[in-house]
Amino acid sequence: LKGWGLGQRGRGEGQASPMMLLDGYNFFLYISPTEEKLIKNLASMSSRERVKAIQKTPKTMKEKRDIRNKVLMEKTKKSVSSSIQINCCTQCLYKTALSYQQFKNGLSEYLHLLQLWQKTLKVIGGKFGTSVLSYFVFLKWLLTFNIFSFLVNFSFITIPQLIASEPNNLPFNGLELLTGAGYFKKTVLYYGFYTNSTITKTENNSSYNMQLAYIFTIGIYFIICFFSLVYSMAKSFRKNFINPQTYSGSAAKLLCIWDFNITNEKAVKLKQSNLRTQMKESLSEVTLEVLNLSLKQRIARIAVHLLVWMASLGIAAACCAGVYFLSRNNLQAATLVLPIVVSLLNLLIPFCFALFGLIEKFQYPRHQLYLLLLCRNVFLKIAIIGILCYYWLNDVATSEKEVKFCSLMCTNLCHKTHGQELALNYFHIILSKHQEICDHWRIRCVKGDRRFHTFLDFLPCLFFSCRIGIFFAPLMPAMQIISFFIIFYVKKVSLMRNCQPPRKVWRASQMTTLFIFLLFFPSFTGVLSVMAVTIWRRTPSKQCGPFQGLTSIIDAVSGWIHILDSYSSSKWVVWIYYNLIGSVHFFFILTVIVLIITYLYWQIIEGRRIMVRLLHEQIINEGKDKMFLLNKLRTLQTSKPDPPKEQQEVSSKAWVFLCCSHSSDK
Amino acid sequence: MGGSASQLPRDLLGEYQELTFLSKQEILLAHKRFSELLSKEERESILQKRVPKSQILTLPELRANPFRDRICRVFSTSEDGDGSMSFEDFLDMLSVFSDSATSEIKSHYAFRIFDFDDDGTLDRKDLEKLVNCLTGEGDETRLSESEMDQLIQNILEESDIDKDGTINLSEFQHVISRSPDFASSFKIVL
Repeated sequence: LKGWGLGQRGRGEGQASPMMLLDGYNFFLYISPTEEKLIKNLASMSSRERVKAIQKTPKTMKEKRDIRNKVLMEKTKKSVSSSIQINCCTQCLYKTALSYQQFKNGLSEYLHLLQLWQKTLKVIGGKFGTSVLSYFVFLKWLLTFNIFSFLVNFSFITIPQLIASEPNNLPFNGLELLTGAGYFKKTVLYYGFYTNSTITKTENNSSYNMQLAYIFTIGIYFIICFFSLVYSMAKSFRKNFINPQTYSGSAAKLLCIWDFNITNEKAVKLKQSNLRTQMKESLSEVTLEVLNLSLKQRIARIAVHLLVWMASLGIAAACCAGVYFLSRNNLQAATLVLPIVVSLLNLLIPFCFALFGLIEKFQYPRHQLYLLLLCRNVFLKIAIIGILCYYWLNDVATSEKEVKFCSLMCTNLCHKTHGQELALNYFHIILSKHQEICDHWRIRCVKGDRRFHTFLDFLPCLFFSCRIGIFFAPLMPAMQIISFFIIFYVKKVSLMRNCQPPRKVWRASQMTTLFIFLLFFPSFTGVLSVMAVTIWRRTPSKQCGPFQGLTSIIDAVSGWIHILDSYSSSKWVVWIYYNLIGSVHFFFILTVIVLIITYLYWQIIEGRRIMVRLLHEQIINEGKDKMFLLNKLRTLQTSKPDPPKEQQEVSSKAWVFLCCSHSSDK
Repeated sequence: MGGSASQLPRDLLGEYQELTFLSKQEILLAHKRFSELLSKEERESILQKRVPKSQILTLPELRANPFRDRICRVFSTSEDGDGSMSFEDFLDMLSVFSDSATSEIKSHYAFRIFDFDDDGTLDRKDLEKLVNCLTGEGDETRLSESEMDQLIQNILEESDIDKDGTINLSEFQHVISRSPDFASSFKIVL
């Protein structure tokens, strides 16, 4: 029997072996709805859906073209025969949809031209595979995000300020580039420089209220940040849902493990040898669960684990205490000491944790160990940044009382926070660059994946500190853009020098999901809480900045609402402010509704899970039926040698009938 | 790029955009790279020519791929079965391997690429050839007989739901759906 097979596309009905007929999908293609029915289906869809449906059919170009032409002919026949009067409304709608589509096409073309690093990413993917590539793609995403936030801040806050700015007559020496203080104090880089007045253009009567602009721009920026993070997180979760089933069953993954991105011959050979080693390992693996540990060994294991956790927490606490006391005594000392110390801590302590990891290496499979390390590092970073925030926020409050040092304090209040921010930023970059070089000499090719541990740990911290600083240094995204550029090139160079791609593929998509989650949960929510405390509870500085003279920053908004109250046309804004944004009931009701919807979705998921299990069992049973019937048929056929032709036809028709009943059941 | 753009008529470009997942730039780039594979005289009638498999395999994106032969054979519509590809076959291939292709179509074609004997299912022989491609073709790089048997047994145990000894398309797609990295690794970009 010449196998029908998928290799003979669109050749019409060939001879099919009985086995093929019973196979669900192949059966569908073999006695699929005839072309007529398919074309009728397609003709009834809207044109966009039709295009998508044709794109999705796994046929050759020629066949797709034929189908498309037939569908178009069918459509013209229908519209001619049915003489429907096209409403001018629908015509308008159609025209607008068409022009919108063309506009989108044109826009995507231009955006394509602006793609950064297209070639570099392709080379990296070709040499090192998709998992490494995904980190760089993520970095690119962060970079575009920062460009967007920079543009927003620049256009709404900085440009008006630049129009109404005073000349800067502070001295400038090179040290300022490192500390961020001094000359830069009186530039648009810092919050203190922004005026609290309304900037007016003399000719027209339109005025620009700097206070409101500041709050609203930062507020809208955070809202957009929030929505885009939630959206990316949801999209990532949905695509890469971390199914616990995927952790078991390593053999079936071989079906989808080859990375078609790799184009370098040496990299291909390397990947093949890695896969071979992996296969051999998995074949001879003795899983830890199978080992029956004696009670003593189990206690010893738990004890070691606890000890390591205690040590990590202790080190983190010690670092925090050190940072706190250093910052307290730092008022008059050089401003560079604190940032250097913090950066060094952030870079060296993860090494200690990795050393601890060596002790635990024998207890845990690699990916769990990596997650543990990640947890500890994130915790350390949160702790240090938390202490710094606490210090900055409290320091601002207490220094208010030091009237004697008013002028000095003024500069400190406004500028110290972000001066240190900037310095922190710089030092992270410079020291990480050094670390890369040391890494390169110390760690040889085999441990290539270790590099990306530090890569991952580094980024949330950077992103986090930038968001805090953005309120006090609106042009911080520009700094971040520069630092991301530097990071990209440093990483790329160190990667290229490192000869081997990582040994084991780190489930890149799940790592990306985890990372976006880290960006959202400790990083963004932490920033939001710090911002909330700053805006609602802390009194702004009296000498500088756009909120001078107010008791709290939020008073700018309430003052504006009071003014609006006097205009009758904007009473609805006032109503919204008092009854929706300002009331607790509204948020309570909103929360309850969201919780109910979440619960409903959860129940739907549970129901679907049960359905999947039932269908799985059903398929297994049908497979057994199939085997049984096949055996029966075989015995029938062998017991009657050379059956007449009509009987053969009858038996194949019987097959078809059986298939129909089977497939309709499914 | 300007020269090749003038050779590909606008309506054809629009048609290709509708029938494949490729964007305009990708189609134009494909046109350029395909014409480089032809000799100068043949470039005039690019749409009618077929490029032999050996030429296609000189592309740097396919050169080192262990599945390159199967890719050419699957996407080629040549009557002789020699794996030669026309420009439209080339576009078909790039469309399936592009970023915007859906996961279903990728898994459908991945199934066909791994189906070495073109019989519509992945049986033991197909899986054996697949594993050999993954580990390398040399004698010292292959797995031993017993390891191969054990490995194939494991694969079938985990993916063959109806227990008929072969993996059909639905079972294959089920395995693929549990691996979120598949769509990003099943990609070839010019």
